[in-house]
Amino acid sequence: MEPQLSWYLALSAILFTIGVTGVIIKRNIIAMFMCIELMLNAVNLTFVAFASFFQDVTGQLFVFIVMTVAAAEAAVGLGIIIAIFRNRETLDVDDASILKL
Amino acid sequence: MLALLFILFAGLGIGCALAVVAQRNPLYSAISLVGVFISLACLYVMLAAPFIAAVQVIVYAGAIMVLVVFVIMLLNVEQEERERTRLKFLVPAAVLLAAVLIAEVAFILVSVQEFRVTPTSTPSDIGTTYSIGSQLFTRYLLPFEITSILLLMAIVGAMTLARRGGLLPANARVVPGAQQLTLSMVDPAVQPDNLTLVETDTTDEAARLLGIDHRDKDDAE
Repeated sequence: MEPQLSWYLALSAILFTIGVTGVIIKRNIIAMFMCIELMLNAVNLTFVAFASFFQDVTGQLFVFIVMTVAAAEAAVGLGIIIAIFRNRETLDVDDASILKL
Repeated sequence: MLALLFILFAGLGIGCALAVVAQRNPLYSAISLVGVFISLACLYVMLAAPFIAAVQVIVYAGAIMVLVVFVIMLLNVEQEERERTRLKFLVPAAVLLAAVLIAEVAFILVSVQEFRVTPTSTPSDIGTTYSIGSQLFTRYLLPFEITSILLLMAIVGAMTLARRGGLLPANARVVPGAQQLTLSMVDPAVQPDNLTLVETDTTDEAARLLGIDHRDKDDAE
């Protein structure tokens, strides 16, 4: 039995949901960052699955762009994390609440 | 056979993804996330996208996760995550909503089967380096260029964020050989606009004027 398109979409949905759950329940800012990477990868799986089943290379090109955005996000995000840690000596997002009204 | 491979890699990916969320140590989460990336790369190979699979391993598991692990080890925070005491009453509501969501997805997966996409078994060049490159540099050249600008902005932003802020005031001058420091750096009582220069010839003298004992660590050893 060949894997159907819906299988890949279901797997992508599961991974995305796990990523959302991690972003919501995690307190450590680096762990939240890794859960965002997990969500990006779930979307990538959807792109590649559609590109493969529709025989269109466009989906795989968008995977490249998503990967680039992820790399840029990693660079800037980790810079922000280092800046927060240098100022507040913690990685807990509940402590970085200086912008909260 | 392919279904068995799909189940294997999908199970590996879901298990590692759950481990990412479940682990309290960020380093263990990072290692589990590498497992997710590897299993997704295997699924990309099954989907006839070998180039994407290679890029997934090289860029994600190779570059991005090394950066994350580097930051984790650089900061070296061993604090245990605090247990959350608030929002406990939302747990039953979350379970209920999740059950509704799973029911919806299961309904769609079971009932909607008219839309069947049959994968063509004929070998095609979809997913090879040639087809991706030819499309990327002709039809999708504008997104490619925008992506390069995005990367440039990310480089500048990361450098701006991660470096320590201004070490020297704006009116300080550093010349090779001799150090000329403004008096406001040496004596905080002096106004910053005062451009009186203190000339020092050696690093030791500059450090002594600034009140920094930079030789202490070397002498102690």
